[in-house]
Amino acid sequence: MNTAVLSARGVYKSYGKKEVLHNLDLTIEPGKIYGLIGRNGAGKTTLLGILTAQNTLDQGEVTYDDQPVWENQRALDNICFSRELQPTLFSGQNNLKVKHYLKSAAIYYPNWDQAYAGRLLAEFKLEPKKKICQLSKGQMSMVTILIALASRAPITILDEPAAGLDVVMRERFYQLLLEDYAQTNRTFIVSTHIIEEAASVFEQVIILDEGKIIENCPTEELIDQFRYVSGREDVVDEVCRGLEVLSTHQMGRHKTAAVRGGGVKLEAALSADVDVSPMNLQNVFVALCGHGDAQ
Amino acid sequence: MRGTLNDQSLIYLQIAQMLEDDILRGVYREEEQVPSTNELARGYNINPATAAKGINLLVADGVLYKKRGIGMFVASGAEETVRRKRKAAFYDGFVRPMVKEGASLALSEEELLAMVRQAVKEGEEK
Repeated sequence: MNTAVLSARGVYKSYGKKEVLHNLDLTIEPGKIYGLIGRNGAGKTTLLGILTAQNTLDQGEVTYDDQPVWENQRALDNICFSRELQPTLFSGQNNLKVKHYLKSAAIYYPNWDQAYAGRLLAEFKLEPKKKICQLSKGQMSMVTILIALASRAPITILDEPAAGLDVVMRERFYQLLLEDYAQTNRTFIVSTHIIEEAASVFEQVIILDEGKIIENCPTEELIDQFRYVSGREDVVDEVCRGLEVLSTHQMGRHKTAAVRGGGVKLEAALSADVDVSPMNLQNVFVALCGHGDAQ
Repeated sequence: MRGTLNDQSLIYLQIAQMLEDDILRGVYREEEQVPSTNELARGYNINPATAAKGINLLVADGVLYKKRGIGMFVASGAEETVRRKRKAAFYDGFVRPMVKEGASLALSEEELLAMVRQAVKEGEEK
C-alpha cells in the first residue's frame, strides 16, 4: 500500500503580470479519488502541471514523499498527468499516431499495464494507426483516459477527461475509474466542469477559485453544510441571522437565500415558517464561486 | 434495491435508506448477506468510501453486522429496529410538517384530525 503524500506549499505562479496561483497549499493523501473543480481560468491546469513538475513555479514547493518533485525520477515514475491532446503540435498538425502516444507512455511509466491498455483500446474502438489530428474530440479524450488508467501510476491525474465524451461514455468512464480504484486503491485527481454526475465518484472535492484553494474536504461533508432557505423576506432574514449568506434571490416579498452553517443553526430554521432544502455539489459550487455572475 | 439515486439528500443516507427499504420488504432477510461496499459502489457508480459510510451507519444502528472476512449481514431483529427508526423519522419528516402546513392554512386541531381519519378510512376502503 502506497503511503506517499503529494504536497504543495506556498505555491505562487504568474504568467507575466497575470497572477494565476496565489500562495497555494494543497495536500493529496494516498488512496482517494479527488475531484478538482473551478471556473474557467481558475488555474486548474496550471496547478496540475505544477503538481507533476510539468510546469515551473515562481515561489513555493511541491513535494512527493517529502522530496521535491522537480527532476525527481521516483516522483515522476509514480505520478501520471495525462494532459488533454491537441490536434495541433508546435505550429503544424499533430501527425503523431495513437500508437506513438501509447508507446511513449509504455516507456515513461514503469507500472504501465500493456494488457489493460489493449483491453481499453478495443473497448474504446480506437485505431492505433490513426493520426491524433484525425480523431474526434471524444476520441482524443479516450486516448488520454486510456494512458491515465493503463499507467497504473500511484497518483493519476486527469484534466477534463469527460469534456469531449458523450453521456454514455462519461458514465462508462466513471465506471472504469471506480473499477480500477476498487482494484488498486490508487489516488486519482480528476478535474471536471460536469460536476453533478461526477459528485458521487469523488470522495474528496477540491475547489479552486481565483488561484486559491477555497475548499478541500469530503464531498458529502461539504454539501451538508449548505441549504436554501426560502419564504417571506423578513422571516428568511430572521432565520439567516448568524448564518453565512452566500447569495440571495428575491421575487416580490419572497426571498431565497443560499446559506452555510452547522446543523444546530439550521435546526432553528426548520421550526420557522420557511422552506429549507438541500443543495447538490453544483449548487454549492455556484454559491461559492459564482461571485454574482449567475444572477 | 431502488434503481437510482437522487440529489435531494446525501448519497450515504440514500444507500442506508435503500438497504433499510429492502430489509422491510424482505429482499434481505435476517441473517442474510447484503451487497458489499464494492458491489454497491459498482452498482450505483459511487465512491466506495461513500457506500461504506452508508453501511457503517446501519452497523451503528444495529441493523447490519460484520462477519470478519465474509461480509455484511442483516442482524436478527433488524426489521423491528428499522421499523422503530422509521416511526421516529415518520413523526419528524411527515407528521410535524403536516401539522405545520395545517397551521399555515389555519386548520383547527379537530379539522386536521378529521382529515387524517378520513384519509385512513379511504385507505381501508381501497
